[in-house]
Amino acid sequence: MNATQTITLTINGKVCEGRAGQTILEVATANDIYIPTLCWMKDRSPWGGCRMCIVEVAGSPKVVPACATPAVAGSQITTNSPRLHNLRRMTLELLFSERNHICPICPMNKGDCGLQHQAYLHGVDSIRFPYLYPALPMDVSGRYFGLDHNRCILCTRCVRTCDEIEGVHTLDIANRGERNLIVVDMHATFGTSETCTSCGACVAACPTGALFDKAQTYRGKLHTCTVVKTTCPECPVGCGLAVYTRENRIVEVFGDPESPLCAGHLCRKGRYETWAEPRRRITQPMLRHNGELKPVSWDEALAHIRRVRDATPVWESVLLASPRLTNEAGQAIHRVADKLDRVGVWLAPNEGALVEAPEPLADVRRQLTEADAFILLGVQPSRDHGLIASYVRRGVRQRQARLIILNCRRSDLDRYADIAVREVSLERAFWAQVAEVLRDVQRPVLLYGTEAMTPIGVAVLERLLAVFEQKASGEAPALIGLPIGTNSIGLVAAGLEAVEDVGSWLDAKPVRYLHLVLGDDHTLGERWFEEKYRALMLETLDLLVVQASYESPLTAHAHVVLPACTWAEKTGTVTNFEGRTLPLKPVIPVRGQARDDAAIVEAVYA
Amino acid sequence: MSTNGKIKVATMWLSGCSGCHMSFLDLDERLLELGKAIDLKASPIVDIKFDQIPEVDVGIVEGCVNNNEQEEHLRHLRDRCKILVALGDCAIMGNVPALRNQFPVDAVLQRGFVETESTQIGEIPMDPVMPRLLAKARPLKEIVKVDVSIPGCPPDADTIWYALTELLAGRMPKWDERNLKYD
Repeated sequence: MNATQTITLTINGKVCEGRAGQTILEVATANDIYIPTLCWMKDRSPWGGCRMCIVEVAGSPKVVPACATPAVAGSQITTNSPRLHNLRRMTLELLFSERNHICPICPMNKGDCGLQHQAYLHGVDSIRFPYLYPALPMDVSGRYFGLDHNRCILCTRCVRTCDEIEGVHTLDIANRGERNLIVVDMHATFGTSETCTSCGACVAACPTGALFDKAQTYRGKLHTCTVVKTTCPECPVGCGLAVYTRENRIVEVFGDPESPLCAGHLCRKGRYETWAEPRRRITQPMLRHNGELKPVSWDEALAHIRRVRDATPVWESVLLASPRLTNEAGQAIHRVADKLDRVGVWLAPNEGALVEAPEPLADVRRQLTEADAFILLGVQPSRDHGLIASYVRRGVRQRQARLIILNCRRSDLDRYADIAVREVSLERAFWAQVAEVLRDVQRPVLLYGTEAMTPIGVAVLERLLAVFEQKASGEAPALIGLPIGTNSIGLVAAGLEAVEDVGSWLDAKPVRYLHLVLGDDHTLGERWFEEKYRALMLETLDLLVVQASYESPLTAHAHVVLPACTWAEKTGTVTNFEGRTLPLKPVIPVRGQARDDAAIVEAVYA
Repeated sequence: MSTNGKIKVATMWLSGCSGCHMSFLDLDERLLELGKAIDLKASPIVDIKFDQIPEVDVGIVEGCVNNNEQEEHLRHLRDRCKILVALGDCAIMGNVPALRNQFPVDAVLQRGFVETESTQIGEIPMDPVMPRLLAKARPLKEIVKVDVSIPGCPPDADTIWYALTELLAGRMPKWDERNLKYD
């Protein structure tokens, strides 16, 4: 049968067109006919478990689930009848009687709950079955989200999302009948799970309050929140975020379904590190006075910096920026570079070669979704680019793609790999093995990261390309470089010097004035002190200016602290690993006296 | 129907927070209109002992059945009313009082009377005249026949007004997404 063949069928007396292979639900939805659903979810395999989408097909005594029944040309379908209404209502009542669904104390109450919504649509004013009131546990051991079995309807949307989207299959269903229970690994908890990546996609998929984000709980109904779409600030993939706010606070962050790469899915960093971490915000300028940081006005802080700068020669003045800054902040820094000896952006080791004028990438989503082999070279997608890791897992688990991991640290991806080697040997036997794994591969994708830029990494890359050249068939691998810093590419393009080794960069010449532009970077503050001598170096400075959104050990050492906007307050752009320029949009008003990084840099060097 | 042509009504408060009765009082000026149509024969707000409740047309019950006394009161009212209305989520489904159903009665009493943070020297009341907790808090319809359910925690005044005016007009209230609310 031709997949694009058009078929015609009648739904509720209306003649509807669909494509062969579509389900009844898909045809009905495309023709603006509503069929209630609970367990169905876009881009997940149909489950047919909740029985809300049952429809009548003329000539058949049985009702069938529309989500899991192929549409047949010429069939006559009824989606609404007294019989269907009563069956659906009974199903809903059974769901309510089976667990402890106590709407008034549930965080999903007031319109966010699929179960409540369906019960309203079907006029459920009371339940005709005896309540079971089962004694069910809760799992709140996870860092970001909890699971309350009392509110679970076993629709398996979380299970299918975990399996098919994030690709880790942490969740599944244990036991039989009324003892069915969502389990994490083999009766582990979210806190102890070895496979859960804390991506939170299960929570986003849950139609009830069974899976809930701790930081979102009881902070207002989502459907009354303001939703702003912006770009994730956590890594160079640049997923689209849909940020839910209420009374100028972030209530929830989900993936933007229209974002081309992420299509609504996020990793832990985007979904939670953006907003659900407790961090101490800096909201006003501070100046060290008698050894203690004291709040001051912007004018006082800027005047103090000016006084010290006037007494400090330009050749002893240095600015170092976080790779999270926007392109606009980078350009502002570049404009004032003549007032400083050096301006740099702090990259990861070996990241420089990856971000200096890379070729723009096209068609990455297609490459990732169609690849039949992934080769990871010196890159840690599970740690640094969670979305890319989910593509790799999906490829291996759903399409049986080959996976070769070379020069990478240990990660959860190792278990899916055909070959996973931390230190690659150049022996013939090893490369014969690689060639064997890749023999029938047609559409390979080579993901490479910072460790591919070392001399060993380059040698391995050359060997790999040689393997592909000797292959009888198949395309050349799609090369996808993955930097670590969110906007390393954009900031280096703006003219900032790529600094991989901060210690030797600073030691190269005497420095008496150091301006650290951290922005909302929440890791650099700790990274600075990973090497002891950098702490000692701070003692030798005349002035350390730290421009940051959050308190860190670095701000504690600063002479002047300047409050910077977070990603949620900024306007600007970042450049992602494909070379696309992506917008950051203000989601909430600026807190306290914080200012945009570019504006602060302009004010300091005016 | 009483001699003055009014519908006779009794209300009862079992295991609930009285929020449903408060919501009933939220009818505000509509109470005057209601007063012309009904005769309130018994209610927690008119201080009549349960065994003095006379024959009525409509019995309205807030709260679920948590102990043997409440069960007796409810059966008493059921015997004396033509239409029994379950008012609010507790009466309909157990709701918050039914949270204890996951635990054995002994553990519930121990927690409530002995282990509460504010309790210094606590003991579980054992006096035989005290009502005895049932093994589980139960919705009304698991004890007696219920004719009308008004969901909500509490049902807001408009919802109560809708249901009562429908009953006064001799119709059963119809529920759909426009007037249903469980919170």
